[in-house]
Amino acid sequence: MLSINDRVSLSLRILMKNTFAKVRPFLTAAIALAAVTAFSRPALAQLNVVTSTTDLADIAKSVGGAHVNVKHIGEGYQDPHFVEAKPSFVLQLRNADVWAFVGLDLEIGWMPLLLDGARNPKIRLGGSGYLDVSSVIPVLDRPSGNVDRSQGDVHPLGNPHYWLDPDNGKRIAHLFQTKFSQLDPGNSAAYQSNERAFDAKLDAAMRALVPALAKIKDQPVVAWHTSWRYFAEYTHMNIVGFMEPKPGVPPSPSHLAGLIQTMRRTNAKVIVMEPFYDRKTADFVASRTGAKVLILPPSVGGIRSVNDYIGLLTYDITQLASTF
Amino acid sequence: MRDSTKQDSASRADSIALVRELEHLQGGAARGDSGSAPPAAAIPSTGPTNPRLLPDFSAVGDLVGDLSPKGSTQPDQTRFGVREVELAIQAAVDPYFRGDVFLGISDLESISIEQAYLTTTNLPYGLEVRLGRFLMPVGKENTTHRHDLHTIEYPYVIQRFLSDDGLKGTGVWLSKIFSPFGFYQELQLTAVDRFGDRPDSLITPEPPNKELGGLTYSARLRNYVDLSESTNFELSASAISGKREQPLSPGYTDPTLGAINALNARQTVVGADLTYRWRPLQQGLYKSFILQGEVMRQLNERDVDLPSGQSYDGPVRNYTGGYVFARYQLTARGFLGARYDQLQDPMAAGGNTRAGSAYLEFFPSEFSKLVAAYERYVPPSAVAAATNRILLQATFSLGPHKPHPF
Repeated sequence: MLSINDRVSLSLRILMKNTFAKVRPFLTAAIALAAVTAFSRPALAQLNVVTSTTDLADIAKSVGGAHVNVKHIGEGYQDPHFVEAKPSFVLQLRNADVWAFVGLDLEIGWMPLLLDGARNPKIRLGGSGYLDVSSVIPVLDRPSGNVDRSQGDVHPLGNPHYWLDPDNGKRIAHLFQTKFSQLDPGNSAAYQSNERAFDAKLDAAMRALVPALAKIKDQPVVAWHTSWRYFAEYTHMNIVGFMEPKPGVPPSPSHLAGLIQTMRRTNAKVIVMEPFYDRKTADFVASRTGAKVLILPPSVGGIRSVNDYIGLLTYDITQLASTF
Repeated sequence: MRDSTKQDSASRADSIALVRELEHLQGGAARGDSGSAPPAAAIPSTGPTNPRLLPDFSAVGDLVGDLSPKGSTQPDQTRFGVREVELAIQAAVDPYFRGDVFLGISDLESISIEQAYLTTTNLPYGLEVRLGRFLMPVGKENTTHRHDLHTIEYPYVIQRFLSDDGLKGTGVWLSKIFSPFGFYQELQLTAVDRFGDRPDSLITPEPPNKELGGLTYSARLRNYVDLSESTNFELSASAISGKREQPLSPGYTDPTLGAINALNARQTVVGADLTYRWRPLQQGLYKSFILQGEVMRQLNERDVDLPSGQSYDGPVRNYTGGYVFARYQLTARGFLGARYDQLQDPMAAGGNTRAGSAYLEFFPSEFSKLVAAYERYVPPSAVAAATNRILLQATFSLGPHKPHPF
């Protein structure tokens, strides 16, 4: 004779067995679906990409296409060294899958505050979305000896203004393609295709600029800041002096006197500067040397008509060539 | 310098040409488009920039001169002094925490732990926890290191209601960011060991934090809104409450504890602060403006249980105070600022203390600052006469580039 407890236990076991038999097909299907989902390479809805500059943002959009949602922190018409770490930027970074930045300490004055504030492990150093773009760049002006602050606001890791060389633009695009493919393997083919299209478009634009580049080659110019060094490497314009006596240090009268002498000696007739520096000082030097002050956007959006990376390079090269 | 730059450029151009040739050989063929994008792998690796995992070491010097016509107004009466040297050691501790240690060295306090805290780096849901000693998140200016202020000293309302050199606490800090209304909001909660420094001269029968309710608790809600790309404001509210030692007279002797001359009474400070900023992005190197104001009210416990025969010498009323500060950028390196302070001064029995000050700031670089200030300090007439103060300040920082304060 079964006790009440035994009867209850037996009833429960029968109920569970019957129930399991009914749900087994669904359970099997669910497990199979989960396994397929887990081991397949699904395409994500959209990768959230935040970049420090407009140039990186434009290249990221070109490579990512419709599969990425790209935002940027700095604007093309502001000095990228002095972006303010506004809390509203923290909100952008909080949900980012990728944080792409120029590196080489360009963003050191504001990036740490934003990354700490965002509390997003994915975009911290070592996270899957932490993308130091300078890691694929052959860097210029890396100091070979000792450096200290008596040399101005030096970048001990090298010159960070590398995006103005189109070859570096391709390196950046390739890096984005690799990173996006790693995080979103389901759309890898699209990213590779987009990268090839970007490269082809950039190559075509540069081929069209060959006559302009020929006019620029070896022409002596003065630049405000070291931000035009990579541009000079590509175009072979000859930077004979800088308006800043040392990186980040405003021009002093004695430095300007020496610079004027240098410009006269080298016959430099162009002063290249960014839209965010004070033009009055450059105008003064130009008035003493007969040079022309040429304001060139260093980044996408630096002036209203320049709204993509290839357009930026095209604009800067054609404007500079038109002065010779 | 330029000649050497030119030589360096030439050698670097050669090395870049070599890299490009390598990329062409290694990457171009594989990609089938010899003129196209170079692969990242062709770039020679430079290795980690900090292979020994050393923390960042930095130092900030804060020098103050006092040329006030009727004598120095500094606590130690010096005309020129090193107010503080702050040493900072900062690094990631492990995958879960970051560590920050700030040591303060001054002639007045010798060496002290200004701040030392662990901060979590991997919590979900926008949470952050900080453990250790930190500047308390009460009001706007109190979370700024004194040498980073736009003025030479903290506003008087902070000096009187919180602490001369910024209120610090040792305990737990919990913070969460959220944006349900589309703008940045952050809630900061703390529980710390005590409210301010322990006064050496006051002895209570038991420590203020004997019960958990005697710990000091604070809350701050930050609301930050962008009005445009160049203008924004932050409107925040704060409160802090805890027990503090307050004097008794004439005092008494406890058979086991000895001489007692104080008891614990609750003190609460509530406040609100508003900061408006304007900085046009394109002219941001040369033009900016800040308008900032804070108001605080100090609420003091009045119904304290007095031992027989004792009278209470602590504050028996509430006090209100505040300040308004504005700073306009004149040039790339020059700023003009002004501040007006007014408060019911606890150090003057609640009488009105007022002060107006003007500041000329010059930044030779991001790493040094020179300030000249004039202040007209007007305490209640029954307490002291008005004073003219002339102050100078020089600060400098050594070590790695720190983020610019915002």
